[in-house]
Amino acid sequence: MPQLRKDPIIGRWVIIATERAKRPGDFAVVKDKEETAKNQCPFCEGHEAKTPSEIYAIRRPGTEINKPGWDVRVAPSIAPLLKIEGELNRHGMGIFDVMNGIGAHEVVIETPQHIANTCDLPAEQVEKVLNTYISRVKDLSNDSRFKYVLVFKNYGSAAGGSKINHAHSQVIATPINPKRVKEELVGARKYFEFKERCIFCDIIKQELADGVRIVAEVSGFIILSPFAARFPFELWLLPKKHSCDFYKLEKDEVSKLASAMKIALCKISKALNDPPYNYIIHTAPFRNTQKPGYWRTIDYDYHWHIEITPRLTHVAGFEWGTGFYINPTPPEDAAKALRETKCEEENLEKFNVRA
Amino acid sequence: MSELRRDPIGGRWVIVQTDNPKGPADFEIEKDSDTGSAKCPFCPGHEDQTPPELLVNRNNGAANGPGWSLRAVPNKFPALKIEGDIDREAVGMFDMMNGVGAHEVIIETPDHTKELSELSQQEVEAVIWAYKARCLDLRKDKRFEYILLFKNHGKAAGASLSHPHTQLIALPMIPKNVQEELHGAQHHYEYKERCVYCDMVRQEESYEKNMVASNDTYVAFCPHASRFAFETCIMPKEHFAAFDYIEPDMVADLANILKNILARIRKTLKAPAYNFVIHTSPIKNSIMEEYHWHIEIMPKLIRTAGFEWGTGFYINPTPPELAAKHLRAAKIIR
Repeated sequence: MPQLRKDPIIGRWVIIATERAKRPGDFAVVKDKEETAKNQCPFCEGHEAKTPSEIYAIRRPGTEINKPGWDVRVAPSIAPLLKIEGELNRHGMGIFDVMNGIGAHEVVIETPQHIANTCDLPAEQVEKVLNTYISRVKDLSNDSRFKYVLVFKNYGSAAGGSKINHAHSQVIATPINPKRVKEELVGARKYFEFKERCIFCDIIKQELADGVRIVAEVSGFIILSPFAARFPFELWLLPKKHSCDFYKLEKDEVSKLASAMKIALCKISKALNDPPYNYIIHTAPFRNTQKPGYWRTIDYDYHWHIEITPRLTHVAGFEWGTGFYINPTPPEDAAKALRETKCEEENLEKFNVRA
Repeated sequence: MSELRRDPIGGRWVIVQTDNPKGPADFEIEKDSDTGSAKCPFCPGHEDQTPPELLVNRNNGAANGPGWSLRAVPNKFPALKIEGDIDREAVGMFDMMNGVGAHEVIIETPDHTKELSELSQQEVEAVIWAYKARCLDLRKDKRFEYILLFKNHGKAAGASLSHPHTQLIALPMIPKNVQEELHGAQHHYEYKERCVYCDMVRQEESYEKNMVASNDTYVAFCPHASRFAFETCIMPKEHFAAFDYIEPDMVADLANILKNILARIRKTLKAPAYNFVIHTSPIKNSIMEEYHWHIEIMPKLIRTAGFEWGTGFYINPTPPELAAKHLRAAKIIR
């Protein structure tokens, strides 16, 4: 019998196929045919002139802006979805609402070398990428027009990625709190009102006790496939320490998170034959507005985390119509397959890895 | 400058690329490799490859054999199963229930190669009658709360078989997106004492720029806050909550406009993959002052990426007024 499972945070139901469940080898991973040649790549070191002028970079001492000599580089998107200059000008149009497309849209180039997948970067490099995210989010939080910043990655064209097969992620700051984010925040707040506990902390406790959906534990972080996973092999990476803001991570925590990220991405790449994927950092909105009651309990009720989703199935009419997903791989099976897929990072003794 | 537009019902914001908008030729359409009719379980002569038929329009021949012009059958690999109890239970802090529901397939024609818009007016009418009949039958099952009719055409839209078909799923709960739409509509109704969809029909008719086509009973337009390029909505002009209660003359007019719109999309975008979904009121609440059934048609031209997944906030590269203009201009055989 298939199961219907409810996401405890936002209340979304998911259909989990328990019979005929799909295993890692059952998904046809479509390889991108067209790729940007290395000498054409706008993100490679030496090609800095092919992107707009950099906003931020981790540079080696003595190197110049927009010149080689960087480890991670951030530039505005060449085709920004939202523009940084201007006023919001929110207004009505009959029964409809409109505002100007103001926001920030930046690209984080994760390495000077032409490497496609983040999981192939050394953990130290992933750490630099994470530090760059933190620095950009902090900077954008100072702009009072913005309410939210989304850090995400599209890897491979099935995940909405571009043809540029050079590791990069994106940062988008928006003038409104997006709908999907609000649902999660409201869900977490309701749970807190009821129980006076963080729902994510409760999930972590229950999952550690159950064990079946845990993929790995990496000093202070936990990787699991959620109970009501929408997609096959969907993973959540959560800090065990309660905090609502991703950008408030301490220095030593960033290096551990880098290791956890690398482990999660390596396992997906290895188990599923380098599939396209998205990851999204879920963090609390900026709290610049001093409206009374505005996200009053957010420090207690929300818990930042990263959601990683391999793109193995097409979203079809049913999902669009209902917002209700059909997952052909039970999360317990996905977690088991990923636990059993070993990657090198796990063997490094400097971290306490339990799987 | 791009524009942010807000959907008046769900409150979802969409980024509409008004600056550098994409026209029909700017999208790459991937051609699917056809499975071929020899291996197709929906082709005549292969009736034994599907479960026994629930509904059939038959010209000759015996049940579950060739000689039909339309068939409805249970899905061979159903996402939900028809037998059993719901048994809602808790697993620690989590909630779950058995996957009870109906999952059916309506095979629209015996012709493997046709697309719905290429069928005759009478054939499309027969498809809509089949939708209606299956919904009315499933309404009798007290375990169900909602019936969803939808179509996946083409691989990019999630179709696994190329033979023209529609799917029906009956669910033991009201799904989240439907719930949100209902809440949004109720909210508007409480405030204005008018149906938000009726307001939308009037506004789109007078604004004109988003209109694609209309007939006596229906309007078709590209919605103000379209999530997808060339997204088109078909809506009855008069207030009507439950799709499956439509009258015979409404069936004929629906066949006419659905065929018209799908043909325009096919012509303008070179036969793209698409989904359509019929949005209707919940089974146990069929006569609602505040809800209005409609069909959303979504050509699959772009892939959903991390931003959309993370925010539920879409980027539409073709403003609806431009999409509507291209669709209006399409030369189709009527």
